[in-house]
Amino acid sequence: MENIALATILMPFIGAALVLCLPERTGKWLAALVALMASVGTLALAQAFAAGGKVPLTVDVFSLAGMPLVGITVDRLSTLVAIAVVVLGFLVVLYSTAYMSEGNREHPHVARPRYYAYLLVFIGAMAGLVLSSTLLGQLVFFEITGACSWGLIGYYQKPKALKSALKALLVTHVAALGLYVAAGWLFAQTGSFALTGIAALAPQAKIVVFLGIMLAAWGKSAQLPLHVWLPDAMEAPTPVSAYLHAASMVKVGVYIFARALYSAGPVPEVIGWIGAVMALATMLYGFAMYLPQKDMKRLLAYSTIAQLSYIFLGLSLSVFGSKLAFDGAVAHIFNHAFAKSLFFLVAGALSYTCGTRVLPNLRGVLKKSPLLGLCFGVAALSISGVPPFNGFFSKFAILAAGFELSRAHWLVLPLVLLALIESVCSFGWLMSWFGKVVPGEPSEAVASATPVPWAMRVVFVVLLTMCLASSFIAASWLA
Amino acid sequence: MSLTPLGYLLLSVLLFLAGAGLSIVSARCERLAINLSSLLGVLGGAAGLAAALPVLLTGQGAAMAFDGPFAFARFTVRLDMLAALMVGVISLLALLTSLYAQSYVREYAGRGAWAMGLFMNTFIAAMLALVVVDNAFWFLVFFEAMSLASYFLVIFDQDEESVGAGLLYFLIAHAGSVLIMIAFFILYSHSGSLDFASFRGLKLSPAVASLVFVLAFLGFGAKAGMVPLHSWLPRAHPAAPSHGSAMMSGVMVKIGVFGIVKVGIDLLGAQAAWWGLLVLAVGAVSAVLGVLYALAEQDIKRLLAYSTVENVGIILMGVGAGMIGLATGHVALAALALMAAFYHLFNHALFKGLMFLGAGAILFRAHTRDMALLGGLARRMPQTALAFLVGAMAICALPPFNGFVSEWYSYQALFAMGHDGDFMMRLAGPAAMVMLALTGALAALCFVKAWGMTFSGQPQSAHAEHAEEAPFAMVLAMLLLAVLCALSGIGAPWLAPLFARVATSLTGGAAVPVAQGLTLHSGLFNTPASVSTPMLALLLVAAPIVPLLFMAVVRGGGVPRRHAGDAWACGYVTEKTMTVSPQGFAQPVRFMFAALYRLRDTLSPAAGFRRGLGATVAGAARVEPLWDERLIAPIVAGVQRIARRIAVLQRGDFRVYCLYVVVALVTLLLIAVR
Amino acid sequence: MPNLTMIVLAVAQGVILLLLAPLMTGVSRMIRARMHSRRGPGVLQDYRDLAKLFKRQDVAPAVSGGVFRAAPYVILGTMFLLAMALPAFTRTSPLPFLADLITFAYLFALVRFFFSLSGIDSGSAFGGLGAGRELTLGILVEPTMILSLLVVALIEGTTNLGAIGAGIGGNYLQAPAAIGLAMLAFAFTVFIEMGKLPFDMAEAEQELQEGPLTEYSGPSLALMKLGLGLKKVVMAQFLLGVFLPFGVAASLAPASLALAAVALPLKLLAVFTLAGLIENSMARGRFLLTSRVTWVGFGLAALSFVFYLTGL
Repeated sequence: MENIALATILMPFIGAALVLCLPERTGKWLAALVALMASVGTLALAQAFAAGGKVPLTVDVFSLAGMPLVGITVDRLSTLVAIAVVVLGFLVVLYSTAYMSEGNREHPHVARPRYYAYLLVFIGAMAGLVLSSTLLGQLVFFEITGACSWGLIGYYQKPKALKSALKALLVTHVAALGLYVAAGWLFAQTGSFALTGIAALAPQAKIVVFLGIMLAAWGKSAQLPLHVWLPDAMEAPTPVSAYLHAASMVKVGVYIFARALYSAGPVPEVIGWIGAVMALATMLYGFAMYLPQKDMKRLLAYSTIAQLSYIFLGLSLSVFGSKLAFDGAVAHIFNHAFAKSLFFLVAGALSYTCGTRVLPNLRGVLKKSPLLGLCFGVAALSISGVPPFNGFFSKFAILAAGFELSRAHWLVLPLVLLALIESVCSFGWLMSWFGKVVPGEPSEAVASATPVPWAMRVVFVVLLTMCLASSFIAASWLA
Repeated sequence: MSLTPLGYLLLSVLLFLAGAGLSIVSARCERLAINLSSLLGVLGGAAGLAAALPVLLTGQGAAMAFDGPFAFARFTVRLDMLAALMVGVISLLALLTSLYAQSYVREYAGRGAWAMGLFMNTFIAAMLALVVVDNAFWFLVFFEAMSLASYFLVIFDQDEESVGAGLLYFLIAHAGSVLIMIAFFILYSHSGSLDFASFRGLKLSPAVASLVFVLAFLGFGAKAGMVPLHSWLPRAHPAAPSHGSAMMSGVMVKIGVFGIVKVGIDLLGAQAAWWGLLVLAVGAVSAVLGVLYALAEQDIKRLLAYSTVENVGIILMGVGAGMIGLATGHVALAALALMAAFYHLFNHALFKGLMFLGAGAILFRAHTRDMALLGGLARRMPQTALAFLVGAMAICALPPFNGFVSEWYSYQALFAMGHDGDFMMRLAGPAAMVMLALTGALAALCFVKAWGMTFSGQPQSAHAEHAEEAPFAMVLAMLLLAVLCALSGIGAPWLAPLFARVATSLTGGAAVPVAQGLTLHSGLFNTPASVSTPMLALLLVAAPIVPLLFMAVVRGGGVPRRHAGDAWACGYVTEKTMTVSPQGFAQPVRFMFAALYRLRDTLSPAAGFRRGLGATVAGAARVEPLWDERLIAPIVAGVQRIARRIAVLQRGDFRVYCLYVVVALVTLLLIAVR
Repeated sequence: MPNLTMIVLAVAQGVILLLLAPLMTGVSRMIRARMHSRRGPGVLQDYRDLAKLFKRQDVAPAVSGGVFRAAPYVILGTMFLLAMALPAFTRTSPLPFLADLITFAYLFALVRFFFSLSGIDSGSAFGGLGAGRELTLGILVEPTMILSLLVVALIEGTTNLGAIGAGIGGNYLQAPAAIGLAMLAFAFTVFIEMGKLPFDMAEAEQELQEGPLTEYSGPSLALMKLGLGLKKVVMAQFLLGVFLPFGVAASLAPASLALAAVALPLKLLAVFTLAGLIENSMARGRFLLTSRVTWVGFGLAALSFVFYLTGL
């Protein structure tokens, strides 16, 4: 199994190197092929894991004097999230082959090889981070993703894009200091970087390690107060936004937090309180920021911030002893990745076909392009948490866990109630935009829309299916 | 093929889902999609009836449990008497509206008629599943799915008003389901499981039980359309296609009542009398205000929507009286009151469904919902007129139709409450009866206006002049409903014990004798009040025959009846505009009850919400750049300042760098020597 | 099920009341005439009018429909039904399965429904206007009627009219203030339903309570007038039967029946005379301000309910 895992991580890196050497037209198909192979790798890994009775496995790749530096861990958590990040990576690469072309009405531009190279390196780094068993390994891949995101956000090389890219890099790097501190502290206390060592720490040390991890998580996942980079990062090409800012980079933060909690045994409750309160603050702030947004991608950025805070809430509640909250949060990582990617890719398709992604200019999409209208609706409903779409089931689990815990810790109750209120309000706001954009008579921009390319259609169909199925997959996988 | 009730229910749900799926598959060929969806709807309705009737007739329920995909919620199904009643009502109306839809949906050809089948069938399937699941999680899943499917029905026309109505409807429905979710979560936190069975056995403190009840009451009440959570109804029901409105008014709002009964009585056991009093009061107010607003309407579907608010109020009055009875230990009273509520639930589904289908037929042919533009349709659409007249008479509770029977029982239940109870009950019962009487009188005006403006007099527009009778499937569905209205009124002595059995299954007491032979009884006192609807119907038909015969004899040799000429207009030539208009007809009532109409505007929170939203948006827009201005920019400026200071070290002169190297070496040597 | 004697009694009762109706309306006309210092046409004039109308042609406007045609029969038929079911000659009703307070209220509603609908169906402006006003008066009057009847029903413990009538004698001693006030409130309602001033006016009847009659003619008009006259008698008998059942037969013995048969027209006469005297001493009020007057009636009924609650 470790071979499959290693192959999944390394293939994209090799592929990136190859893509840089090839001309543009073949390069993009090679990139898609490599990403597909990596996806197949994660699926094979998951299948092997399930066939072996879902027994967790940890293998060291590099050790120094018996101390693991970099290793691979295969368990329920890592296989599930790995599937999400790598498969979405493939879908985004496929989508980019169509989006980054002259047919794009908003940004007509054929992608340079470095675009696909960065994207493949990113996929590899994400797989590596998710499957890593040591804090050091996580750190290495964390920084690689930071560097790639700089390259991808600033891809168009306009002044605003470069500024946003630099802002993103600096904020996430400052946040990474937390991870450095955590890694260093862990090493100092246990003599190893292995994540399983966290369980052996004294409570004080655990608090330090967790605070460090949380700082890094907040930065990478754009939580208050380190959220400033995400809305501006929307300067990136839309497939990049869909991948980085919906499916993978922002999920790094919640993932490292989840992994630490998974490996840590009993965690001091103060961590849970800090996490939950900050999550709520971010959630409410994120919702408030929805309201003035007219650019669809900025709206989705804030929506991502709010949804990630739901995951943080779930993970923080799991500190109080609720497995339901943990499972719900992880399921939400999985579900949200697909739903938000769909939403971003719809925004991209609207840019491509109609030339604009400013919401007030888009009306009557359903009449001109039923597929885009359907995807917009499904994505909005999934994010808002309406059954039978995926968002509802994971949100329900987190809220149920919150209420369950409120008997013992009554302060959790106001947090959960506020989260519910935010959920209703964001539902109202998203459905209000749905009502303005999708039904009715087409506006000027929409009436002159070009058809949606086949690559995009394929991606949309896959994502639509996942928006219905992913919650069931996640629930049965984690059970 | 003979299945168990649960088997038939599953078959019914599968048939509706198949109807939905096949609609998508045959989307290209709209006629096929419409016919398939309609056929499968009719079959599904029949299967649902086959599931419900055995349970209702024998009193034998059924239950099953499966492990679902989610560890925290098992998929438990329970077909008890209450659920069977709901399944029966849903299936019956679904059967007839699917029949109706076969012709009606043709109006939407080219505008996505195939999608109508998808949304309607999913909607019905969700409702059927909702009433039988016995687990809070799955209940909420199907509840939201039902709201989702009906949202798409409401916005189907895709114009601004429909989309706005849909948003308001979905938002209120979703907020309602969140309140219900909180109520269930509170119960979950006490019982540790999401199954309703675990909720039933809980011993809660009065404060917690009351909190759960109030949350559930508000949540389900928003779905039922009770005042003050009713504002979505008059916008959403007219916007939906007419057979969708029929299902929404006839069945979906009943799901709200079903929820209140389920949580208040089944799960929590109606512990406190003030719960029932709250329900009774809200019901009474909804009834009066609903019909008062209905009679001021000019749009026929808005009128019917407000009338739904009224009838939900009447049903809630029965439920409230039942809850009061249970809480104070008057079990027989509770059974009578609940039975009246359930009977009215069933009746309202029939006659409101009929009237919405009638409105649909009118819309189909005369292309307008505005009563001021209709008129004279009785001659052109005689069967629709007859069916609509039966519906209007039923809804005004005129004997011998079904509305009369359920309101008679409601009166008897309230009377019983007013007769033997404590002071609060003796005050509330008669007050509620007076409000019910007022509602009846207001309803008479409302529906005389509705029928009269639409079907009598002269056509007020070109479309009305050229209207034809509706297609066969639509007329058949309407006439079947009209016949059912008549039969459930005349056949009340045989139907009432059925509802009484459903009521006693909830109250747990002995059966209340509500009928004997051909008479209905109130079953409670030494001289029980009684009425016999079959005899009444017979006499009502026979009595006019006598003057008819007399007239035939007298006029035998006289001049035949002349049916020509204009009505008297004081010597002027009669014009179309001389007939009374809808607004003119209701003007005296609007004048006399002006304060209550003003209430609608003064208490509406819409203006306040808009202002609040505007302020929040402005505030958010101001706050957004602050992070960059106040946090990032100063840090960056500070870093750059420090960098400039340090940059002084970079002289650019080679000799200075050599000096640095020498200084560094000397310092290191000194340290090494130490 | 009712036995043969009861059926015969019911039909006889209905026929007698039907035959009395034109006489009573004639008496009203005479009282009005005399109080206006006119001679008047005589108490039997309404019979003569009806006979004449039956010989005339029945004319209907072109726009009128089936409801217009059927309404006279429905109205007369339903009123006849009510006349059969009232406790008139006997303490209990001859048709006990109909004699329920709620049933009666809704049968009156049926009559009002068809009466108003026929007004709109005639296509006449006056008919429509009158129909609206008829229904509006129904709205104003219904709560008072129900509440006043409810008080006596609660005292007796059932809504069955026969039982109420049977028990009322003893109950007067139990709760005199409540029943007295209830009777006044109900009498107020009866007065309104009988179509008296200040709610109606002969000279402007087309616009008010008899608006829907405008387009009827010949035999149909005769039937409608008969039906409306019967309604007045039924309402009066309703008041008498529930609140003042003195002189009615306690059993089916021929002697007591004969006594009741004599007492009934006399009591009706008393009611109509009283009503006539009251109505002709007032002027008509503005229709839109009628609600202020009906509030008085409701207030009386509410007061009687309060007295019932406190046990007076």
